[in-house]
Amino acid sequence: METVALIAVAIFLFTYALIIDERIHRAVAAMFGAAIVVFIGIVPWEALLNHVDFGTIFLLLGMMIIVNTARGSGLFEYIAIRTAKLAKGNPIRVLILFALVTAFVSALLDNVTTVLLLTPMLLYVARVMKLNPVPFLITEIFASNIGGAATLIGDPPNIMIGSAAGLTFNEFLIHLGPIMVVNMVILLGLMYVIYGRSMKVSPDEQQKMVRTLNNLDERAAIVDRSLFNKSVAVIVLVVLLFFIHDRIGEILHIVLPFVDPAMGLEPAEVALIGAAILLFWSRQSPEEIFEKIEWPALFFFGGLFVIVGALVETGVIASIASVMIENIGSTGEAMFIVTWFAAIASAIVDNIPLTAAMIPLIQDLGTTMDVYPLWWALALGACLGGNGTAIGASANVVVIGIAEREGFGISFVEFLKVGMLVLFVTVGVGFGLLWLKFVV
Amino acid sequence: MGYSSALIQRKYKDIVGKRYESVLKEYGEFLLTEEELFVPEVRSILVPLDLFVHGITDEAIDVLSAYNATISLAYITDAGVLELLGQTLDRSSAEEFRAKKEEYGRQLLEQTAAKLEEHGLSTQTRMFVGHTGDDVVRMAKNYDMVALSRRYADGESADLSISPTVLRICQRVETPALIY
Repeated sequence: METVALIAVAIFLFTYALIIDERIHRAVAAMFGAAIVVFIGIVPWEALLNHVDFGTIFLLLGMMIIVNTARGSGLFEYIAIRTAKLAKGNPIRVLILFALVTAFVSALLDNVTTVLLLTPMLLYVARVMKLNPVPFLITEIFASNIGGAATLIGDPPNIMIGSAAGLTFNEFLIHLGPIMVVNMVILLGLMYVIYGRSMKVSPDEQQKMVRTLNNLDERAAIVDRSLFNKSVAVIVLVVLLFFIHDRIGEILHIVLPFVDPAMGLEPAEVALIGAAILLFWSRQSPEEIFEKIEWPALFFFGGLFVIVGALVETGVIASIASVMIENIGSTGEAMFIVTWFAAIASAIVDNIPLTAAMIPLIQDLGTTMDVYPLWWALALGACLGGNGTAIGASANVVVIGIAEREGFGISFVEFLKVGMLVLFVTVGVGFGLLWLKFVV
Repeated sequence: MGYSSALIQRKYKDIVGKRYESVLKEYGEFLLTEEELFVPEVRSILVPLDLFVHGITDEAIDVLSAYNATISLAYITDAGVLELLGQTLDRSSAEEFRAKKEEYGRQLLEQTAAKLEEHGLSTQTRMFVGHTGDDVVRMAKNYDMVALSRRYADGESADLSISPTVLRICQRVETPALIY
């Protein structure tokens, strides 16, 4: 291996070690690593622009604007209170309903925002029921990661894969949606078996809880009714546009004949259009909304793309790909390796940097084999692998962090025991279904 | 704190920043607090009366009616005042003064008890010579709540400030205190 390639590998490993340890902010670590490879000329400016996936960054940006604008209306608190009331004081119903709502919202919006906004309500409900909230919180984490895996926009690894491979929203729904529905059913069954016994409340307590929750007025959560309605309308519109983003030209051509019927919109364009419509319609202060954008996350992604770009530029990725091609006999074998490697590695590294490194590898494999199934294998492994450990995905860290702040510690080992079980069961089931679809 | 716990805290800080605080603040607008969720059981309420309390307000009765509790009305004649009068007046004048004040106390107890009973509250009355502050603090230990007039042990001042004795009692009692 050439010296420059060794330097690129060393910078890559050093940066990933910093990201895993997080003593330095992950965005700073990624930017620093990127700065070194740019400074020493491994990634020249022209190549840098190619390696940074603006499709991912703009999609995240657009969705952040939509979510931060909608948040001001009280939409998420409204959903949380409605969910709590629907549970009617039954702990099992609380577990199931919050898991389903978390999965659904995570499929459409980012997982961190979803759990950040639903966890306080879940803690409140558990407090009213006088039950340990840990089983509910752990279930919420798994539901968020499974729900997020179902769509192109649900989880950062899917956004990155969709953008790099040019996959559509509907393709994600078709290939991963049913797998995640099956996995949600399995998850709820597992959680019931593991925690069901500890979720008993007396009829008196249940009545007391129903009374307390009925006193909550979900309408009081709506801070701005007009913004609430506009946010819901724009989110629905954006989701509808995602369904038709690859063939929007055909539809627009009917009413606007000058539009090219072959035209399609990238998911990032859909998100930015939605953000522009909501800002224009709601008249919210753009300064306030733009201030809330998670710029560190965007710079984190940017830095990662450049660091992985250095491995591409120096031929490291191509070398790994050629070794894999020599040793892998079939697409099914490649699917197996990609799925399980992504699942286990993303439980350790965090699934975002793992996906960033895996994408160019799969692109290189595409020169000799059909990599279409491998994208789904990667999405499955990276998203569900995040369930394995407390640091596997951002949602895990957020919920466990909140729980600790509220006095309910979830230890690394406690999470690992359940997380690894969920990882192996859900990835195993998902891999089996992908195998049936693409190999058998 | 172990390495894994510290690692999660570092990652949490980097991912969430201060967003959780703002989410909590938004929820705080309409969710009950820990204290509000816990409704204490109140079965007995102590209502101290003295020379400067001229009755109980309708607002206070409304609040007291919310609890299914027995109201104990205690009229306390300040022992310090009586001692001072004993030193400055002759014996018969001091006795006459004491008799008048006790008569006032009896009437106040009867009127207040009658007013409370009109609202369906059960009452007990007692009258004694003692310390208007210390004795209330001591007695409060046996009750679930204390209801104090802002004029209690104060004087005949016309302003609406709360009596210093009432404030001191509130600082010292462990049971919930209501000021009317």
